[in-house]
Amino acid sequence: MIDRRQMLQGVAGTAALLPFGATAQTAYPAKPIQMLVAFGAGGGTDIAARSIARFMEKHLGGGAQIGVVNKPGAGGEVGWTALAQSPNDGYTIGFINAPAILAMTVEKQPRFSLDSYEPLGNLVLDAAILAVTGDSPYKTLKDFIEAAKTGSAPITVGTTGAAGNSEHIALMSLSRLTGAKINHAPFGGTAPMRQALLGKHIPAGTIGLSEGIAEMKEGSLRILGVMATGRQKIAPDIPTFREQGVDLVSGSSRGIVAPKGIPADIAAKLRAAVKAAVSDPEYVSATEKASIPLHYLDGPDYAAFLKKAHADMQAIWTATPWK
Amino acid sequence: MFEPLIHAIPVAFSLQSIVAMLVGLVAGLVVGALPGLTVSMGIAVLIPLTFGMSPTAALGLMAGMYNGGSYGGAITAILLRIPGTPASVATTLDGYPMTQRGEAAYALQVAVVSGTIGSVLSALALILFAPPLTKVSLLFGPAEYFWVAMFGMATVSVLLGDDMVKGIFAAAFGLLLGAVGQDTLTGTERMTFDVLELVDGLNIIVLLTGLFAIPPVLNMAEEAARQGMPAHLLALKRSRSVFGEWRRYLTIWMRSSVIGIIIGILPGAGGSMTSLVAYNDAKRRSDDPDSYGKGNPEGIAASECGNGADNAAAMVPALTLGIPGSGVAAIILGGLLVHGMRPGPQLFRDNPDVVYGFMLQMLTTAALLSVFGGLLATRLFGQALRLPPILLAPLILCITVVGVYSVNNSLVDLWFMLGVGLVGYTFDKLDIPTAPLVLGLLLGPIAESQFRLALTVSMGNPGILVSSVTSILLICGTLLVLATPLLQKRKVTTTER
Repeated sequence: MIDRRQMLQGVAGTAALLPFGATAQTAYPAKPIQMLVAFGAGGGTDIAARSIARFMEKHLGGGAQIGVVNKPGAGGEVGWTALAQSPNDGYTIGFINAPAILAMTVEKQPRFSLDSYEPLGNLVLDAAILAVTGDSPYKTLKDFIEAAKTGSAPITVGTTGAAGNSEHIALMSLSRLTGAKINHAPFGGTAPMRQALLGKHIPAGTIGLSEGIAEMKEGSLRILGVMATGRQKIAPDIPTFREQGVDLVSGSSRGIVAPKGIPADIAAKLRAAVKAAVSDPEYVSATEKASIPLHYLDGPDYAAFLKKAHADMQAIWTATPWK
Repeated sequence: MFEPLIHAIPVAFSLQSIVAMLVGLVAGLVVGALPGLTVSMGIAVLIPLTFGMSPTAALGLMAGMYNGGSYGGAITAILLRIPGTPASVATTLDGYPMTQRGEAAYALQVAVVSGTIGSVLSALALILFAPPLTKVSLLFGPAEYFWVAMFGMATVSVLLGDDMVKGIFAAAFGLLLGAVGQDTLTGTERMTFDVLELVDGLNIIVLLTGLFAIPPVLNMAEEAARQGMPAHLLALKRSRSVFGEWRRYLTIWMRSSVIGIIIGILPGAGGSMTSLVAYNDAKRRSDDPDSYGKGNPEGIAASECGNGADNAAAMVPALTLGIPGSGVAAIILGGLLVHGMRPGPQLFRDNPDVVYGFMLQMLTTAALLSVFGGLLATRLFGQALRLPPILLAPLILCITVVGVYSVNNSLVDLWFMLGVGLVGYTFDKLDIPTAPLVLGLLLGPIAESQFRLALTVSMGNPGILVSSVTSILLICGTLLVLATPLLQKRKVTTTER
């Protein structure tokens, strides 16, 4: 049940935004929905947003329209601030990426917290991998850790973000758990890191599983392990870190949220639309073809997932601050 | 290798694909000509519209837009001294003086023919040498990229203009602006003043648009009372043709194409830098380097040919390795993914029709550019010059504001654009050249981050900077560029004797 005050607020909000004859009876959605993406057009999150938007429109029904709006900047902080500050009338939703957004709330004071958002559903969970070149002397994760522990110099590992990115944090955990000496080289982007790794300018690197799977099949990269709780559907042959004795889980998720406090009935409609969209056979086959690691979590599960990831991040920050 | 090409022909030239290529080309010309709007943005907006199309038609649309947009930027660069895209900055240097002399039509023809030649050669290189060229891009690690940036920086000498001190001041100012933003190696923020929008540094498109579009608008406002150019002076009928003088341009076209293709296949370096390097090369080799920057059509030929040659070449590492050579190539990769195709060697095996079809479409749209860009766009856009400044100035300002806003959907960017525009206007009044500023802004961050990344990878050993043949070749090239003025001086003195 929605209480009366909330309903009045919703009506007042809608009426204020729709001066032209909108009434309390108007079925949601009565106007286009804005989907905020905190990264540039053409990037991974943008493509995920633009592809799911079409299917959400279909399952919301009633000629619903969803417009993707890119607000890139500061590693997502610009867009996530805008999303947190948007009206919670159900006409603005957006994507957040954990753990990037969580790291931000832990290491500094952004103008949002995890409580600024109402989780609607998680779409993607791309586990991080440790990859070496196809002809590398390190055949297994054990070889790598052994060499990094006993070698005279640390092993250089490239990551795709800036200092303090989630892969950097995973590498610090790896050092802490195993005593491996690692020299971290942040490349600030996936493309330059992959190029340096394939060109053998660095011996190892961390990326998302979906970004290294094609090279593994070609033989140009060898994946030593995937930082996930279990083996991944898109690459069932790759052992996890846990199987190899290192309890390390890391990866990047993309999910849909709304600003906190949106009307409960609208939130329910949006959750149902996300759920129907991710189970749409056409959408599923498109993600399979593109090797996108689909990992749907419904609203409550997604909320629990974010909460746990946030607590973990807080613990890592307290133990080993990365900045 | 020719078998898959022949198989790809019916796919690449289905009716749907041909229509898509034409639509893309025209849309690209328009997007390219509007300051602030870039080809990357145009293609990103197109991607969701291509869901329902076959992959080849979708790629045809993107190929058309890519080639069209790269020339579209030259139109406003020549007519109004406003580069439509960052890559056409070097085109303004000689293009606008020619317009002022009443040679706009000839300048546009040089631009379109040179752009077409560069794009066609680049597409041919993509078709013939894609796999071997991939190996070249893998030779470049952090140390090599540092030297690429240094090489580019050395070319600043030819952009300095008549007053060296002013030129160096502009370049240093560009370097300073390039230092704004988060330091990726330590995560520290520099000169961001707690403004969130500055964490990623100053957006290059916002900055260049402000720098090059605002000063002409202000100049027009100063002359607001003046009449538009009378129709008889517009002279869109050319007095001479580039085809009659092809001998003059042949070497420039060849050299600029090679430069464009090489820089194009290097991920991360391409685009705006290509045209500046090609321009520098042509000026350095010219018998009369002083005429560059004062309306020498050879400058346009070099800039646009290099710019065009960058296009298809940037797709070489994108298609073969999944590593994009330019921003546009990155977005086209995203489009491929949406259609369920993963770039990399397996793409050539699993979807040869699509890959070779796309290459053929790059070639076709490059060739079609001469027709659409030359005949239609030039005549259409040329009319803009007939508007009186009192109409033209606010029009340009409106288009620029919309374009820059749409880069990040950010109002803060508009203030940056205005601020930088006023700096550009002041520079104009003080006769400080703006081209060195662009070079400093583009290359400073690359040089810094790659230098530090190289030293991080080598754990502090500077030997990594000279550890590969590629690095040493780049160092020699840089020294050669730096020594050229000295050698030329000696040559002059010897002849005088």
